[in-house]
Amino acid sequence: MPTSNPLPPKENALFKKILKCYEQKQYKNGLKFAKQILSNPKYSEHGGKFVARLFWFPHSNNFAETLAMKGLTLNCVGRKEDAYDHRSDRKYDEAIKAYRNALKWDKDNLQILRDLSLLQIQMRDMEGYKDTRYQLLVLRPAQRASWIGYAMAYHLLKDYDMAMQVLEEFRKTQTVKPFDYEHSELILYQNMILFEAGKYKEALQHLESYDKQIVDRLAVQETKAKLYMKLNRKEECIKVYQELLERNPECWSYYHNLEEAVKPATVEERMKLYDDAAEKFPRAQAPRRLPLNFLTGEAFRKQADLLMRKSLHKGVPPLFVSLRSLYACPAKVKLLEEMVLGYVESLKAHKLFHPDDPEDEQELPTALLWTYFYLAQHYDHLRQTDKALEYVNMALEHTVTLIELFVIKARIYKHAGDINEAVKCLDEAQSLDTADRYINTKCAKYMLRAQMVKEAEDMCSKFTREGVSAMENLNEMQCMWFQTECMRSYEQMSKWGDALKKCHEINRHFTEIIEDQFDFHTYCMRKMTLRSYVGLLRLEDQLRSHDFYRTAAESAIQMYLRLHDHPVSDEDHTESADQENMTPSELKKWKSKMRRKAKQEAEKQERIKMEEQRKEQLARQKAQSDPEADGPKEEELVPSKLQKPERPLEEAITFLQPLQLLSAQCMETHTLAFEIYFRKGKVLLMLQSLKRAFAIDPSHPTLHTCLVRFQKLVKDSTSLKPTIAAVLKKEMQSLVQDKDPATLNKEFLEQNPLSLPHLLAGAKMSFYLDASSQEKSISLATKLSADVQGVTIKMCSEVLNSLRCGDFGSKIDSEVESYRAACHSRFPYASCFMTTVQQNHIKQNAVSENNIDNNAIEQNS
Amino acid sequence: MNIRNASPEDLMNMQHCNLLCLPENYQMKYYLYHGLSWPQLSYVAQDEKGKVVGYVLAKMEEDPDDAVPHGHITSLAVKRSHRRLGLAQKLMDQASRAMVECFDAKYVSLHVRKSNRAALHLYKHTLRFEISEIEPKYYADGEDAYAMRRNLGEFLDKFGQD
Repeated sequence: MPTSNPLPPKENALFKKILKCYEQKQYKNGLKFAKQILSNPKYSEHGGKFVARLFWFPHSNNFAETLAMKGLTLNCVGRKEDAYDHRSDRKYDEAIKAYRNALKWDKDNLQILRDLSLLQIQMRDMEGYKDTRYQLLVLRPAQRASWIGYAMAYHLLKDYDMAMQVLEEFRKTQTVKPFDYEHSELILYQNMILFEAGKYKEALQHLESYDKQIVDRLAVQETKAKLYMKLNRKEECIKVYQELLERNPECWSYYHNLEEAVKPATVEERMKLYDDAAEKFPRAQAPRRLPLNFLTGEAFRKQADLLMRKSLHKGVPPLFVSLRSLYACPAKVKLLEEMVLGYVESLKAHKLFHPDDPEDEQELPTALLWTYFYLAQHYDHLRQTDKALEYVNMALEHTVTLIELFVIKARIYKHAGDINEAVKCLDEAQSLDTADRYINTKCAKYMLRAQMVKEAEDMCSKFTREGVSAMENLNEMQCMWFQTECMRSYEQMSKWGDALKKCHEINRHFTEIIEDQFDFHTYCMRKMTLRSYVGLLRLEDQLRSHDFYRTAAESAIQMYLRLHDHPVSDEDHTESADQENMTPSELKKWKSKMRRKAKQEAEKQERIKMEEQRKEQLARQKAQSDPEADGPKEEELVPSKLQKPERPLEEAITFLQPLQLLSAQCMETHTLAFEIYFRKGKVLLMLQSLKRAFAIDPSHPTLHTCLVRFQKLVKDSTSLKPTIAAVLKKEMQSLVQDKDPATLNKEFLEQNPLSLPHLLAGAKMSFYLDASSQEKSISLATKLSADVQGVTIKMCSEVLNSLRCGDFGSKIDSEVESYRAACHSRFPYASCFMTTVQQNHIKQNAVSENNIDNNAIEQNS
Repeated sequence: MNIRNASPEDLMNMQHCNLLCLPENYQMKYYLYHGLSWPQLSYVAQDEKGKVVGYVLAKMEEDPDDAVPHGHITSLAVKRSHRRLGLAQKLMDQASRAMVECFDAKYVSLHVRKSNRAALHLYKHTLRFEISEIEPKYYADGEDAYAMRRNLGEFLDKFGQD
């Protein structure tokens, strides 16, 4: 070993003990031994570096750092220590390098090889993994994991033949016990490889010859069915799917694949498959529900009638949700509506679903209740608020304690834009069953929509661990729905720091879940659940494609863009009000209220600041007093710091990168990328984003605003390098025939004259290009005539915000007010179109009612 | 609703469903542990948009006291908005059959809060579980649990290996 200064035996023994402690995470003991070595001044320098690593492991510590500075020689073991350091620090790449260096000195060190292979698979360095696994196989050919790991490396590199060969060699050495789950998994893993290699014939043979050794019968059947399909052996395929239906008649893909194999020529033949199944499995829902997707007209009506009567008779609350996807087809909506309205008439008059039904089939009153319940949801879906409310209220008259009715009523109000009323309904619902977390969750979610963060947290705390705040406990449990809604709530209130904190928390969950796979690299090889393990690796590779990440990342980027454009200053006031619409006395009251509020807010901020300081201090103390805490400490997320990022665009890019990689099919990804690069002045990256967005939907309104601004930027620019200018011209020629921005916008508006999102985008751009078009632009954006499509509460409120925030210039108060009033009459329930006075009135009511015991109100009324 | 064996991609959505419905929650790693140790035993119910509306998260008891191989239901939930479709029973039947086929389970056990009358009713009457004992202070908040069991004899007769 080429060390210049080897330790004497005593110290060396101590050092080995340190390493052992280190591996077993017994840091305190390790520290003790380390101090013993260091107490000898002769060796203090020698041991300095790697012993310092030991001190560091969970967190850095001044003492260790000083020692690290002193560290001189790095022997082989020292290098290994280096690697440990990086692994804990999640700098896997660095750790791989360090391990490789360590191997230069000790190439057959099993522990280093094993650890290196783990890091390589974690980082998906598959070539490196293959080499390391080869080393391990050569060194330890008797070990099961050696073979499995080596084969797996080939599988993941898509060298299926090699993977199969290695596994075959290994399989031959195995003796099979009866009921051998692990062996069964091994066979199925081999079969997976054959399947992925496209060797369907061999896979089928393989499956048949080892049939007796496989305990996972579902996997056998499902794989067989797929293989028969691939091999075009339809008869056998049909038979296996029939058997699979016996096993699970609720699995939709079986029906789908059965159809695929049978290839029915007519609707009648197709329907027969389902009729047969329905007869065979009378308790199954799928064979009755699925045909509604393809049936039309009278056949649809008959089948729907059957299903609805059954559900309404029995009282199945999810009837509407299970039919909701049919509402994409207007003809089916009409048929369903006629049928259900017919039930109401007949049930009221004859207690029968149809007047011609036999007398002895009379229904209980609950049938009518569930029919009302259905209709309330039906009309809500069609956004006919008044009718929806009428039916839900009739149902409530029937049964006042049915929680589901309050949930539906709340949803109707939410869709109509009156979130405060919706919260009241749900608050009542949850008070009827406080032990049900689903209702509790719903109520909290609506509270967050109403920006009642404190109330929502209190609501959630009924189901979170005592002793910690609900916020903390929900974070610990990775409760991302809550954090997403919370983030939106803060965003609405312009509390950027708090909102960003939630985005970062969500992002950290994803990092943590990616870390989670580390332990499974060794675990699954022991358990032999290799198919699932491969599934895990593939899942982790695109973990951040999950909606929870996408939502958080998109919002984070938007907020960082905003903070780039309008940095938060210390005396920022987020409060604003529609002062023009107030009478002098209202204004006076409002002003004094604002003064009070500002004072309260200042006090609150002071409290928060102190609280944050206290927490930081606590965390520091904890870190110092608890050196055995696992893993490195993450930087604490402090809202007041988050809302003043030093480099907001760089922060935005870190959230963007996974989206570009994993959510490339989403328009938002590319328009947000454009916005970042627009602010950074990176024309080629802007172009790249535009091209990607264009490939998804060339006429998307948001994309249009990017295209126009980009064209203007390019045309106005005088400093572009000629080579870049040439590229841009060529590319823009193929995207938009290199038209000038004004023409581009004019044509866009001409092509989409009756779609509100397009009108808004076009109008914004015409003002952007020419401020003198203010009047005309505003009249385009505020168009509400009956022939305009896409007039929703969300869209109109976007228009209103756009007007208010200056997209159409200033001095337009009367236009804003008349648009607000027009929206208010179109959506009378929506609080966002009410005057500030009306809004405040509602809020005050909500608050005062919340303060009074609900029971008291009920008793008094 | 579509009922099928859970794959690793489902685990995160099962965690979400669990957080909506039940007071006992787990970090993602625990779901991964189930999905990678006994991939055959967990099932999901999905709606048309692919959202998980119900699930059963199940395992085999490791080193059982009685040396009898048996399964354990770690968590079973159906969203309140999707009740009365018989989902819980269908999920449990699939999981139970897999326990018998893959792991030779003789019975399946679970815990339920003493106060949770709705769940108790479901397990007792619909799913034919029986109370085997009371575990005092089983839950973090100090509540007692009923330990319940269901004999898998009928599944063993039909689907077990000889």
